[in-house]
Amino acid sequence: MTLMTARSPGIGETLRESAVFNFEGAVTMVIDDSSFAQELTIRALKGFGLSTRHACSSAAEAIPILKENAVDLILVDSDMPGMSGFEFVRWLRRSKLEPNAFAPVIMTAAHVRQSKVQEARDCGANFLITKPFSSLTLLERIVWVSRDNRPFLEVGDYLGPDRRFRVGDYDGPERRADELRRKAGL
Amino acid sequence: MTTVITHNRRRSRLSSLIDQPGGISTGIALKQAAQNLSSLEEQSLKLVEQTIQQLAALPAPDGIENLEGALNKAYALSAGIIDAAGPFAREDLCMAATNLCDLLDGSPSDQPFDWRIITVHAQSFRLLLALPLEDKATRQQVLDSLKDVLKSKLGS
Repeated sequence: MTLMTARSPGIGETLRESAVFNFEGAVTMVIDDSSFAQELTIRALKGFGLSTRHACSSAAEAIPILKENAVDLILVDSDMPGMSGFEFVRWLRRSKLEPNAFAPVIMTAAHVRQSKVQEARDCGANFLITKPFSSLTLLERIVWVSRDNRPFLEVGDYLGPDRRFRVGDYDGPERRADELRRKAGL
Repeated sequence: MTTVITHNRRRSRLSSLIDQPGGISTGIALKQAAQNLSSLEEQSLKLVEQTIQQLAALPAPDGIENLEGALNKAYALSAGIIDAAGPFAREDLCMAATNLCDLLDGSPSDQPFDWRIITVHAQSFRLLLALPLEDKATRQQVLDSLKDVLKSKLGS
């Protein structure tokens, strides 16, 4: 019998085809000024079992929602008119909104300008994915950020997850695998 | 000396939800995502075509004072091609668009910009769209020549 586990892949590791996860009930927000790009993201998420509760076309539209509602996952485009995705995440991390200030954030970018590389690194997002990316990459990153338990650091102007990644095998308990083993009587 | 404040490590609600009983496997999730996206593929190609038309129709700025705005418009259109084509395995279109974004981003806005670069990229996008998918050699030639333009202009 093959045991399935939702153990998250590390950075650069591939999510196994048999890995099982359940995002039912997760409150997801997608922010993208391009209605087509937004639709693409929403449809991919739906395939993963993640229904998008809040679809916003700007950071200005997202902010009042975040002040009133807890959100479990945020996907935001980096390059938007008005408040950019970078500025939005920086605002979020410093918003003191509980629990949203600590919500996992995946930022997507078609292209990052040289002048924005530092901003991308320092805004406080959990992960930046550059396009084009496959559905597999998006799913891997969502699973990864859901397991991301890096502490939040405040260093100078930076507030966000510790930017130092630990490279190596995950050595914690495989919670889902343990449960399946128990059920299988192994 | 820089002060480092470490906030308490906290487990997100998402990390609890992911371990709920039930759920789906990666294989099924990817299959469902592909099915959900497939109906948008035609729309994606139409959007790419429209964006290429807009790019080709962009007038060269009539003075250095209007250059930055023109470069930004072209940059946004090029990024739009990556947005639209990305999920449908059109790496060729995305590579060409990234090439143009790199060029536009790296070009100083206080010096004249050779607007023929935009025309060349627009023509290349059209060629990539028209080429049969199996014609990888010609596709690669087009991308290589665009890379050469980038190298000659920015030296990278």
